[in-house]
Amino acid sequence: MINVMLTGVGGQGTVLAAKVLAQAALSKGWQVRTAETIGMAQRGGSVISHVRMGNEGEEVHAPLLAKASAQLIIAFEPSEAARVLPYLAPGGVLVTARTTIQPVTAALAKEPYVADAVISRIEALLEGTGSRLVVVDDEKLIAQVGNRKALNTVLLGSALAAGCLPLSVEEMKDALSACVKPRFVEMNLAALDAALA
Amino acid sequence: MTTKLLMGNEAFAHAALEAGVRVVAGYPGTPSSELVETVAKLHAEGAAQGVHVEWSTNEKAALELAAGASHAGARVLFTCKQVGLNVASDALMSLNYVGTNGGTVLFVADDPGPISSQTEQDTRRFASFAKVPVLDPATPDQGFAMMQVAFDLSERYHTPVIVRPTTRVCHASTFFDVADTTEARPVPEEGFQKDPKWVIFPRRAYQGHGEINERLVKIADDFSTDPAFEQFNPVFTGGMTREMPQIGIMAGGVSAAYVREALAIVEDAASAAGVLIPAYRFMQVGTPYPFPEKAAAVFARGLRSVVVVEELDSVLEDEMLKLAAKIALDSAKTLGEDIAPALLEVLGRYTGHMPDRGENTIDDIALRLAKLLLSERYAQAADDDSRNAIEAVFATLEEAASGTRFAELNASLPVRPPVLCPGCPHRGSFYAIKRALGKQPAVMCGDIGCYTLGNAQPLDAVDTCLCMGAGITMAQGLAVAEPHKKQVAFVGDSTFFASGLTGIANAVYNGHDITVAVLDNATTAMTGSQPHPGTGVTLMGEKRKPIDIEGVLRALGVECIERANPLDLRECEAAAKRAIEFEGPSALLLVSPCIQLVKPSPAVTVDTETCTGCKKCITEIGCPAIGFDPAARGPRSKERGQVFVDASQCNGCNLCTQVCPFGSLIEGGCRD
Repeated sequence: MINVMLTGVGGQGTVLAAKVLAQAALSKGWQVRTAETIGMAQRGGSVISHVRMGNEGEEVHAPLLAKASAQLIIAFEPSEAARVLPYLAPGGVLVTARTTIQPVTAALAKEPYVADAVISRIEALLEGTGSRLVVVDDEKLIAQVGNRKALNTVLLGSALAAGCLPLSVEEMKDALSACVKPRFVEMNLAALDAALA
Repeated sequence: MTTKLLMGNEAFAHAALEAGVRVVAGYPGTPSSELVETVAKLHAEGAAQGVHVEWSTNEKAALELAAGASHAGARVLFTCKQVGLNVASDALMSLNYVGTNGGTVLFVADDPGPISSQTEQDTRRFASFAKVPVLDPATPDQGFAMMQVAFDLSERYHTPVIVRPTTRVCHASTFFDVADTTEARPVPEEGFQKDPKWVIFPRRAYQGHGEINERLVKIADDFSTDPAFEQFNPVFTGGMTREMPQIGIMAGGVSAAYVREALAIVEDAASAAGVLIPAYRFMQVGTPYPFPEKAAAVFARGLRSVVVVEELDSVLEDEMLKLAAKIALDSAKTLGEDIAPALLEVLGRYTGHMPDRGENTIDDIALRLAKLLLSERYAQAADDDSRNAIEAVFATLEEAASGTRFAELNASLPVRPPVLCPGCPHRGSFYAIKRALGKQPAVMCGDIGCYTLGNAQPLDAVDTCLCMGAGITMAQGLAVAEPHKKQVAFVGDSTFFASGLTGIANAVYNGHDITVAVLDNATTAMTGSQPHPGTGVTLMGEKRKPIDIEGVLRALGVECIERANPLDLRECEAAAKRAIEFEGPSALLLVSPCIQLVKPSPAVTVDTETCTGCKKCITEIGCPAIGFDPAARGPRSKERGQVFVDASQCNGCNLCTQVCPFGSLIEGGCRD
């Protein structure tokens, strides 16, 4: 069983990334369940996608992950990474983008919200647990691709590069091509290459 | 057949089409909306042939339309979210009495949490109130199967049938083998047959009530014994010992899936600690009403206690309490006074063993089930080692469920409530009306839609919100009770048509001094941009003349109608002032399309030379694209820091440029 959690802010594209993983799993003949946050939270709130893949014929009942069961968490934003830490399985990998999305509440608050502060607190909590943190310089990679909409593919590619997904590059490319709109295929494949480089 | 990754709601659409549904009608509402959209998409692609699909004006209209088509013999599907059934309830209650002809299925999605809803009402309860059978899937796959048999059940007994998934089933995806094309069942040639039975009269109602009661007994039997339905009430035995189970676990809906996952987690934790989980028996109830009592009695045989796991209301728990009383009475009668009767203890929310509200989670269920399953073993433990081993199981599960290790970090994170999108025209509407009201005492009555988010800081422009259309009518009550205050009611364009018209007629006829602000963004935005009578398109792909909101207001007798662009602050504020000052009912029509419908304009930039860091743009309108950088320095902001605009989020609406007192926010693409 492979459990993946994708988390971010409404509008960042977690849903599509979850779909790509499910598509890749289908082509390998695995059982898959995914669950999405749809509704009010999509308006700039925290959103989570759960992806559960039964890769050895296991039955998957529930669409949602239990705590401490995600082998991989892909976070599109650092504070959202921190929020879902209880879901990371012992020995799991957390891949997070470094760039923040400042909520209005942070702009109104006295204390600023700073990415590095949150990331170092995550590091401290993961120390000695066997879990690994991969911080992606998403700004640099997005600059290479030229479109922030490719963040989901950049992060999927980073997870793949970190060896956290039991998928080949080809399988990922096929799944991407099957899931994104035809006119965005090229951009997303470029984003994948940028992340894997 | 093609294998497709489908979300529950998409799969249910395929299931209904494969069952030959002829008419699909509903009103959007999370988590139900994708079903109708999928039918419309398949129809547009030519894959779903012969089907009529529409977003009706509201749920009541949709169900009545479906009822008419069913009378003629068509298979019909109605969709809504749980609170939508409240709107359609008048139709449903009587429809059950006159009965149905073509298979009539109501797809009503519940929302434990609630995640995107006003209430945690339980449609299983509504079904028993309306005396209508209800099916409750644990997974999208099961929902797919239920949707198909629901039509057969409806036609077998001439009853409406409710299929009621919850959010986590509606929005979970998995792979389905679906037909590439479907063909709606033709309406039988004889069509609608005139008969006094279709006319609800007191006499007919008395007769109909009897028919309902008779069929419910038969359906309860079918749910226990007919393989087509009994498959939704599976029973299995688990645990790590081979004795006869004494503990039962009964679950409904998605909780049944959670329980199965939770039991695996409990067994893993127990194995790790060298503890044996006693034998238990599990039953899912996928057909909660009429309750499959015979199947439940077989399940309960020999059990000492049953713990019930469900969300929203204690529907199964109530049924099991009834069954436990029957079991005790029956055994007392059979055994005589000298022998103790068979007692079945029912554990659940009433006993504090399960949470009384909100969503269930696997972790929480695992901990609670472990405690129930191991309590006796713990009490009877022979030595400290056995007790410690059981405590270790509890500790492992408790640690996972509570996540205490992460609590401190979590508390330090910025909260991220949903907000109006950057560039949303509603932001301008709320801000301009607040400015127009100034310091006058006023109440702002909100309504259901994206614009409920106007309640967030710093706009803080929604004082009430009750249900669809209530803003307009509540404002009238407030005006009667507090005539010295100004009353402004907000309503979106879709809500205006769904349930705003009667309120406006009431204000005009009864002479209430209110201002109705119609926030017309040309779509049903919150639920994903569905068309409505004002948009000019239908789900069947036809172009229609949009119904003109201003014309409707005028026809209803509203004499003062002001119109403005909400993104033009000065124009909007002036129009709002005129409408608010008008004595009697007035309307303020604020027209600007939802940002999901139009291309963004170039992003606003900050003039770092003149920004003083006063934060007025942030504290007045709270746009998510504007942030504050305490480290930024400029000649006029000195050490104070400056605002910045996140160009990837900014929509170029330019509202902020009209708010900045120093002209430091520059319209996109133009720098003097």
